[in-house]
Amino acid sequence: MATGPDESKSRYLQYLEKVTGSLEDKRRYRQYKARIKQLPESYRTAAEAMERYLMLLGPADGAGAIAMYEDLADLFEQSAADGTPIRDLFGEDPVEFVEAFAANYPLGQWRSRVRNRLISAVERAADEEPGRQDRST
Amino acid sequence: MGKQATEMLKGTLEGIVLAILSGRPAYGYEITAWLRDQGFSDIAEGTIYALLVRVEQRGLVDVEKVPSEKGPPRKVYSLNAQGREYLEEFWRTWSFLAERLERLREGGK
Repeated sequence: MATGPDESKSRYLQYLEKVTGSLEDKRRYRQYKARIKQLPESYRTAAEAMERYLMLLGPADGAGAIAMYEDLADLFEQSAADGTPIRDLFGEDPVEFVEAFAANYPLGQWRSRVRNRLISAVERAADEEPGRQDRST
Repeated sequence: MGKQATEMLKGTLEGIVLAILSGRPAYGYEITAWLRDQGFSDIAEGTIYALLVRVEQRGLVDVEKVPSEKGPPRKVYSLNAQGREYLEEFWRTWSFLAERLERLREGGK
């Protein structure tokens, strides 16, 4: 029951998606998975490892996550076509690369909540601070 | 390339990539190859890719998909007006930094 992107949603579908989440996102995710399966073995292994990391620590949920996985597939398809060695793709520090990659997309909800809480707490603390002018004297 | 050079490069990589693109449009692999030729051998292809995604999202570059003989179409990036403005600011910042550091070095002699 795949739906095309241009098909206007029926009421039933709108209701269904309240329960299942966006079917369009699911379709795009399945497509992404199929693209990864087509990769030569070493690229597939590396792409799946990157996906696992992103699922656990990255922006796995919410809008933008699907776009991130599609970009990931673009990168690996291109690298496979160019014959870029895996080490050249990831560099010396795979974590650093994956974090830089993930930083381009909306954070998973709990991560941004945790960050925002820190930002506002520091802001509050700074506001409460007495006599913060004239630090130099 | 040493670790220190890699660390220093990080902060300026965005400006470097935009400067490359100001000369002519390019796709990710060309940029990485150029950097390698210039002696930046530790630069990961993926790092450049993530950076290109970022400058695209910030509207500094235009992207065109160009078919390639082998594999999927390539995304070719070119600097747009907003990117040019950003690049000018990058060079101003760079001049400031380079001048201050040079002064610091001379003061230390």
